[in-house]
Amino acid sequence: MALELKSSDNKIFEVEELVAVQSETIKSLVEDGCADNVIPLPNVDSKTLELVLDWCKNHVDMKLDEEKLKEYEDKFIEVDQAVLYDLLLAANYLNIKDLLNRACQKVADMLKGKTPEQIRETLNIVNDFSPEEEEEIRKENLWAFEE
Amino acid sequence: MSRRVRRKVAKKGKEKIVLQGYPDVEDDVLDLERQEDVYWTSLPDDTVLQLFSCLNYRDRASLSSTCKTWRHLGISPCLWYSLDLRAHKCDAVMAASLALRCVNLQKLRFRGAESADAIIHLQARNLREISGDYCRKITDATLSVIVARHEALESLQLGPDFCERISSDAIKAIAFCCSKLKKLRLSGIRDVHGDAINALAKHCPNLTDIGFIDCLNVDEMALGNVVSVRFLSVAGTSNMKWGVVSHLWHKLPNLTGLDVSRTDIGPTAVSRLLSSSQSLKVLCALNCPVLEEDANLSANKNKGKLLLALFTEIFKGIASLFVDTTNKGKNVFLDWRNSKNKDKNLDEIMNWLEWILSHTLLRIAESNQHGLDNFWLKQGAALLLSLMQSSQEDVQERAATGLATFVVIDDENASIDSKRAEAVMNDGGICLLLDLAKSWREGLQSEAAKAIANLSVNAEVAKAVAEEGGINILAGLARSMNRLVAEEAAGGLWNLSVGEEHKGAIAEAGGVKALVDLIFKWSTGGEGVLERAAGALANLAADDKCSTEVAVAGGVHALVMLARNCKFDGVQEQAARALANLAAHGDSNNNNAAVGQEAGALEALVQLTRSPNEGVRQEAAGALWNLSFDDRNREAIAAAGGVEALVTLAQSCSNASSGLQERAAGALWGLSVSEANSVAIGREGGVAPLIALARSESEDVHETAAGALWNLAFNPGNALRIVEEGGVPALVHLCSSSQSKMARFMAALALAYMFDGRMDEYALVGTSSESTSKSVSLDGARRMALKHIEAFVLTFSDPHAFAAAAASSAPAALSQVTEGARIQEAGHLRCSGAEIGRFVAMLRNPSSILKACAAFALLQFTIPGGRHAMHHASLMQNAGAARVLRAAAAAATAPLEAKIFARIVLRNLEHHHMEPSL
Repeated sequence: MALELKSSDNKIFEVEELVAVQSETIKSLVEDGCADNVIPLPNVDSKTLELVLDWCKNHVDMKLDEEKLKEYEDKFIEVDQAVLYDLLLAANYLNIKDLLNRACQKVADMLKGKTPEQIRETLNIVNDFSPEEEEEIRKENLWAFEE
Repeated sequence: MSRRVRRKVAKKGKEKIVLQGYPDVEDDVLDLERQEDVYWTSLPDDTVLQLFSCLNYRDRASLSSTCKTWRHLGISPCLWYSLDLRAHKCDAVMAASLALRCVNLQKLRFRGAESADAIIHLQARNLREISGDYCRKITDATLSVIVARHEALESLQLGPDFCERISSDAIKAIAFCCSKLKKLRLSGIRDVHGDAINALAKHCPNLTDIGFIDCLNVDEMALGNVVSVRFLSVAGTSNMKWGVVSHLWHKLPNLTGLDVSRTDIGPTAVSRLLSSSQSLKVLCALNCPVLEEDANLSANKNKGKLLLALFTEIFKGIASLFVDTTNKGKNVFLDWRNSKNKDKNLDEIMNWLEWILSHTLLRIAESNQHGLDNFWLKQGAALLLSLMQSSQEDVQERAATGLATFVVIDDENASIDSKRAEAVMNDGGICLLLDLAKSWREGLQSEAAKAIANLSVNAEVAKAVAEEGGINILAGLARSMNRLVAEEAAGGLWNLSVGEEHKGAIAEAGGVKALVDLIFKWSTGGEGVLERAAGALANLAADDKCSTEVAVAGGVHALVMLARNCKFDGVQEQAARALANLAAHGDSNNNNAAVGQEAGALEALVQLTRSPNEGVRQEAAGALWNLSFDDRNREAIAAAGGVEALVTLAQSCSNASSGLQERAAGALWGLSVSEANSVAIGREGGVAPLIALARSESEDVHETAAGALWNLAFNPGNALRIVEEGGVPALVHLCSSSQSKMARFMAALALAYMFDGRMDEYALVGTSSESTSKSVSLDGARRMALKHIEAFVLTFSDPHAFAAAAASSAPAALSQVTEGARIQEAGHLRCSGAEIGRFVAMLRNPSSILKACAAFALLQFTIPGGRHAMHHASLMQNAGAARVLRAAAAAATAPLEAKIFARIVLRNLEHHHMEPSL
């Protein structure tokens, strides 16, 4: 059986149900009988949805071959920050656990061992602390940096 | 517990590798193009929380420190449900700073007495589980305060090291304070008295899981009163009265699992427990010698109760606990973890089994008993792998430690059991270990890295580790801020860098930089990590390309710093070895000079030759040897007292390893290249020990000593000393019977120098009254020397080839002679202008034997393709050698060998003359 998904930019994707229900969100819609018509996914654009569906399809197809799947995942997640961000949002919204885990791990790997300032540079975060707060935070986190 | 192979590398640079540019290895090159558009701080909260939970505490702290939004999320209770303080220094102040975040803390792991004292300052009144290790110094007082402040406590575990200072008083305090206690496991208590156990029975009605492990005395009668207990372990506990146990414990109404591993329980008590307890399901008795003597206890006689022992089939036995009895084999743990139909009772049994099995297997592995090969290969390795996949983090850790331990069969020699290592590999252990190493939990990282390191001593395993991406993972862990993690990762890189095949991959993974950074990071007080990092760098520096990278990463400075300041033998040894290997590529990079230019480097190495540790002395001498190839270093070593130190070393190494002897002689050889050093070595008493080393059976040693004596012999004073110290027979012996062509060659050259007449004048000038007798003995020595030099040269002179060469001037005939005479290794020797001048002069010597010898030597030094042949050719040109050679080639009186060799040298010179670079 095939389902029809509509991205935020109004593109329709026709997908096997088995592939689509990798998303817990879609799965519960199906179970609740709300999948007869096109399922609108207003939080996911077509570009991201295409990637996400590729992930789901491969996880159905390659379910038994762990090695191939790992290879696929490693390659899949090699994307730039903007795509990674979109994937995280989509995985969260669609509730696809393995994709969410993999994407989180990818971000974590980018941050490991970095100082707060390096993390800000990496993720383009603005430091919104006052000097007093910074001192407070330093004390608060001192424990983690002491051997 | 340093388990690694120490590898020495060849001292003499053997081949040349063309250096290529190496790409910078930077891990934080990020795509910056679209970074501007991404607002990471607007990620959904639950996603950010998941991101936090992928990171260790340091990284979480850094992430919390970036902005207000994430600081707020960083204190979310779900991130503070459990806390592992083991890797962190935790005193009262630190603990107090955590208090606000620990309001809902449920689980705590800590390490050591200081942290134990600090626990109450976390004010985590809702704590359910506390687990501590390194507990030797924890006192009754500390423990009593902890339990008094945490009345909700359900689980308390202290061990596996012994709680030496904890007595029954503290156990009573636990009973009075923690009425909700379900699990109590304590290791290494001296006496667990009856009143303490009775207090537990009385005040803790929910206490179902008790472990008094590795204790000295436990009141077994009192334990019979704890009716609530379902799981009980007295593994490793001594002085158990098994008669009392078997009469009382079977009455415990709820007792489901009993662990008596590593005790002296016998078959009678085991049978009785199995036959009379109503509730017992599993009796674990691994490694009980008395029981194993009588292994007739068969599993099926036990009324459906399971006995686990070294001689039973453990996987099969555990599988029998399940209703679904399809043969699960080694997958029984995995199937249970994945199964959807959860049976609470079974889950409890399995979780308990995982815990006690991991504990006992680790203890057995640590004790390194003989006779367990069969058990480890058939069951033990697979059990450890199963346990490594447990959902209990401490079980995983212990299983990894167990793997790291059970493969090592000899700590001293760092040797591992290949069969065991391969069993782990073949059961998929490498992937599992690498997965553990990728965890954010530092306890798992360090234990997994340690196991990978030890297993990688086996070349097959090392290959598998590399293929599975292990080198990147280890290089990543080597950057860890956690010392234990970094230490084990550096150990892994050390062992992987032993062979040639993984060095490039380590460099590519950024391993070189990571290792150098480790040395700076732990320069004070981290000898384990420093030794491993220096050891790995030493192996890497043996590779041309990596050695350049080591220097670029600041390795020269780091290693010299260690050689100068570190007080630990192991670190000094590896640092010196690394410097030796760095300096071994004199032709292809300028590391040699760079080491010498590092302030205090040469002084430190000279100082290390006086170390009480033989390994340190050896590597320091090796480093000085390699460094002395650089002219400026050579003189700087001498200025730093190197001559005196190395002569002393040579004098004291008669009983040392051949490695040390070789390097001591080699360093003196290197220094003796300059005339002033030669004279100084002779004056300091270096001749006698070098002669002693020339008598060594070991080729490496006598070859090196012969080289040094050759360099010394040009000086008439030294030549005379060599004669006086009995060097002539030693050199004659080498010259005629060493297996090494080089040793024979250099011994012949030393003798040729000594007896070309230079001593005659010197000996006559001497004022000694013995001069007459001396000159008489000198004549005898001279005759003997010349006879053997002649014989030596003749061994390289095939009469047929000579006849052909004499008859024709065709190049082919001469080439044939050259091929017959060529000594391959002699091409590595580099002679100074003075040296070449001496041989040219020797061509004019009245002795035809010396003439032939000189021509033979010059032939070796100028063979086209030899490393320094061009250099020698140009030196000869400067010395006007061609004229002398032509004279020698044409002289009517000269022997045939001298004439033919001279013709070949002339041809070699012409060859080099045509080279455009000359």
